[in-house]
Amino acid sequence: MFFDLLPHLLNGLTLGLLFALVALGFMLIVGLMEQINLAHGSLFALGAYFALVIVGGENSFGHLLGPAWHSIPLGLRYTTALVVAPIAVAVVGMGVELLMRRTYGKDPLFGLLLTFGAAMVLEEAIRGLWGTRDYVLQTPSAVSGGFIFQDLIWSTYRFYAAGIAAAAIGLVWLLIEKTPYGAVIKAGAHDNEMVRALGINLSRLRLFVFAFGTLLAAIAGIILAPIWGIRPHMGVDAVVPAFLVIVLGGIGSFWGAVIAALLCGMLVGLAGAYASEWSLLSIYILLILVTTVRARGLFGKKSLLEA
Amino acid sequence: MLPSPHASPRLVTPTIAIVLMLLVTVPFWIERIGLYPYIGVEILIWSIYALGFNLVLGYTGLPSFGHGAYFGVGAYAFGLAQFNLAPNLWLCLLAAVVAAALAGAFVSLFVSHRRGIYFALMTIAFGQVFWFISIKTHSVTGGEDGLLKIARLPVELGVAKFDLVSNLTFYYFVLASFALVLIGLWRLVNSPYGRVLQAIRQNETRVTFLGYSVWWLKASVFTLSAAISGFAGALFAMAQGSAFPDVMSLHHSGYIVMMTLVGGGLVSFWGPVLGVFAFLLTRDIIGAFTTAWMFWFGLFFVTMVLFKPEGLAGLIQDARAAISRRWPPAGAAVPVREPGE
Amino acid sequence: MSKFKTSRRGLLKGSASIAALAGTAAFFGPWRHTHVYAQGQKKPVKIGFTCDASGQYGNSGQDDLRGARLAIDEFNAKGGVLGRKIEWITADTETTPATGSRVAERFITREDCGFLIGAVHSGVANAITQVAAKYGTIYLNTNSSAPSEAGENCSRVKFVWDGNGTNFAKATVKNAVQSVGKNWLLLTNDYVWGHTTSNATKALVESNGGKVVDNLLVPQNTRDFTAYLLKVQQSKPDVVATAIGGDDIKALRTQVAQLKLEGKPAWINNQQDWPDIWGAPESLFGVFGTTWYHKLQLPGVEQFLKRWQASYKDGPIPVPGNVSYNGYMATKELLRAIERAGSTNNIAVIKQLEGLKVSATDRMQHYDAFMDPVTHQMQQTIYLARRNPKPADNSDYYEIVSWSEPKSVIDDAAAAKCKLVAYDQVPTFEL
Repeated sequence: MFFDLLPHLLNGLTLGLLFALVALGFMLIVGLMEQINLAHGSLFALGAYFALVIVGGENSFGHLLGPAWHSIPLGLRYTTALVVAPIAVAVVGMGVELLMRRTYGKDPLFGLLLTFGAAMVLEEAIRGLWGTRDYVLQTPSAVSGGFIFQDLIWSTYRFYAAGIAAAAIGLVWLLIEKTPYGAVIKAGAHDNEMVRALGINLSRLRLFVFAFGTLLAAIAGIILAPIWGIRPHMGVDAVVPAFLVIVLGGIGSFWGAVIAALLCGMLVGLAGAYASEWSLLSIYILLILVTTVRARGLFGKKSLLEA
Repeated sequence: MLPSPHASPRLVTPTIAIVLMLLVTVPFWIERIGLYPYIGVEILIWSIYALGFNLVLGYTGLPSFGHGAYFGVGAYAFGLAQFNLAPNLWLCLLAAVVAAALAGAFVSLFVSHRRGIYFALMTIAFGQVFWFISIKTHSVTGGEDGLLKIARLPVELGVAKFDLVSNLTFYYFVLASFALVLIGLWRLVNSPYGRVLQAIRQNETRVTFLGYSVWWLKASVFTLSAAISGFAGALFAMAQGSAFPDVMSLHHSGYIVMMTLVGGGLVSFWGPVLGVFAFLLTRDIIGAFTTAWMFWFGLFFVTMVLFKPEGLAGLIQDARAAISRRWPPAGAAVPVREPGE
Repeated sequence: MSKFKTSRRGLLKGSASIAALAGTAAFFGPWRHTHVYAQGQKKPVKIGFTCDASGQYGNSGQDDLRGARLAIDEFNAKGGVLGRKIEWITADTETTPATGSRVAERFITREDCGFLIGAVHSGVANAITQVAAKYGTIYLNTNSSAPSEAGENCSRVKFVWDGNGTNFAKATVKNAVQSVGKNWLLLTNDYVWGHTTSNATKALVESNGGKVVDNLLVPQNTRDFTAYLLKVQQSKPDVVATAIGGDDIKALRTQVAQLKLEGKPAWINNQQDWPDIWGAPESLFGVFGTTWYHKLQLPGVEQFLKRWQASYKDGPIPVPGNVSYNGYMATKELLRAIERAGSTNNIAVIKQLEGLKVSATDRMQHYDAFMDPVTHQMQQTIYLARRNPKPADNSDYYEIVSWSEPKSVIDDAAAAKCKLVAYDQVPTFEL
């Protein structure tokens, strides 16, 4: 019986890591800038589409890069996409942040609404450029296909994706906690007056944090695209888990969000196995239960967002 | 938004009277300007919805992103009452309002002690839960196929009976409902209750210090808002002849927020109505030319949020203030900048 | 919220706004169309296409439109219908029922469309049907494969042109129980279409001596199927029958193909829409259904393909598939019905459509097709296909496995559930 359960636990764990990756960029912006970025989903989608262009998906403007590019092996194209596409999205993200500047200091509702509007505009732009059809992001054979473990076939790509997720989480944590840049970012969140008094350019700091958050959203989009598919409205697949994870884990807590993501993953994975019709609803119910008991989520700290 | 202390607002202001008179004449010229009666019906129904919604967003300052749930509950309740209780218009409308109010009251238990982003996220979660339930209980709601064959029940007033099947007569029924809601809400927001709501929006803590139970106020306004949204939902079920889960989706709940904001719900009683007009007319007119109309409206929305969060109503207020400065009203020594509308 | 200083200003403002509104609307130009016809020229027949251009079925909706437009172009080239030119208009129904209602009302009351065509999502189709039935306008449901469309949600003015979940289940199950295996596992999307289809599959499996070992429910918007795939591997059924649609089947397809799980167990899917597969042949798995394929070795297919490519070679989908085929056939048969009726009177056309019989040659299918007058669903040849291991060119995704006669795959339960209103209760009109 346990051996029947084990694969589902493992599945839940990998799914949780994927949720964490999806939520990472969103979480950073919420935690460090105290802004809810509803454009997270559209930027997630944009990352996938940009990667599609670079890898050279059919009919996706990939032909603009020329036949010479397409003759390069897929592995190289994919790696390039993984590096370049998020940077391109980060540039778009910086554009959004510059727009958001006008809403700082006002009701945080305006920032929320601005990103909501930006999300819509981006989604429609994607639909206008690439059409309504579905696309497939090719992945190098090294990370595709399946492998056998315990008599069951598993998806290699999924574990690769979960690995990337874990690495991303670790790297971001290191950046925030252990580097001077991270210290400055955290200071900017807690006491921006002091940061300014110390001579640090706060606007540049916020720009960087927002760009970094959207970069992570794009990476998540590229990593998840081969599993979840590419279509114009794919952003909703990212935004919903992201905010659920944040609220469940508590705004302001990095590891809270990670744990919440793992919890959600486990719940969806196990429910999928044993009570499949509730698998998606279960995380909403969990959220409602937890926030009723602990208003700030599992590990939330008091934040400006409560004002 | 607060009226000056010595003003005692009339029950029906000139603006309300003029707008209603204008709306009465609409069916006579709507086809001449290239539209059609159904869109008039839709605009009025959504205006009711938006006015109810703005109680929560504009007046109390609570961003609810899941209000579609109550609109949907009202629509389904109307249809189900019609099939299972009795095909009586008033009974079914009442059922819709009560069902939506109950749903709103239930959710308010979980969200009334929150505000801001947490409030928003919780309303989203509940909106999704209601959507999920409506899809899952498809033996009752019809699921994605919808609850169909909802009839426009006739208005029976004892002496007279009005059939609402034609869009024209139905339009007048909806207009009458709109007038009722409009006047009722106008009275409400200008009452002490309404003023406390606005105070909550400005500073919740201070209101608590003044001795009010903020929790009860937020819960009550949320429930009331849900009831009005449910009423609009019931009217929409009659308009479409059916009820579907889609109105409960995050997308649609987002639309009502957008419409209310663009219209200027944050600063004006009429804001939501302006926003509904702008959104639905743009969608219909521009949508006839291009399927990318949402892109343009989204850009317009973003521009509004950036440069004029007071929305269309804010623009009108600015225009009126400018006119008032330019041409001061007779008898006034100094042009008075009105505290806002 | 503040009082007016003078009511005169208010009145001025009021009249100014009316003028502004009327002026703005005039600027946008949607005046009522008043054509002046030259002597001898007849008033055109107008058709409204209620097709999705965005949302989940935006892709299919546009393909549907392309097929329908081809039929109209062909008729107009021959002088139109009844000597009248055919005009058409389209608007995005956004895969949303409320938009469907509004578009239908607009088309009928403002645009004077005599006929409405186009559907993929059953909810949208139903919303449009409610409106069309109110006015008596004939509505062709071209591509919604929900069994309820021809069952409890049928309508005197609506005609269904696609095979539904039950038809496809019937085409696959009997054969598969006998040739593949008796233990079946069902994956059911947790909404009406999924349940109806799976119920049909279950009934067929059991009546043919098979056994349903499990029925796993998949909530709508599920993206991650690993839990289900693990369970499938753990249960080791002979056959897995999926009643999964929309975006969910696309995710499932990708994930199954990645795992190369398609060999064993045998997968039986319901209908696959061509626009959903275009560009991703490698994600096809198992056996699936379709109403038509562009490489059928039948008379007329090649010519149709050439005509399509003459117009749409550079479009997003340069090869027609079942969705565009259904749109084309429905439109063509409507126009023919009008010709046979000799007028656009809706009751006359409805009666023509109810008695419709189309030869196999005209249908470009293996068997003759006919309209079921009780349920208003077109009964047609149902094809089963799987991924083509040896494609002849880069559009040859399918290998057709079998084709079933319409009578053998008919949805028996539908007739009992469908109650059509009498003719005299339908508003009549003539364009």
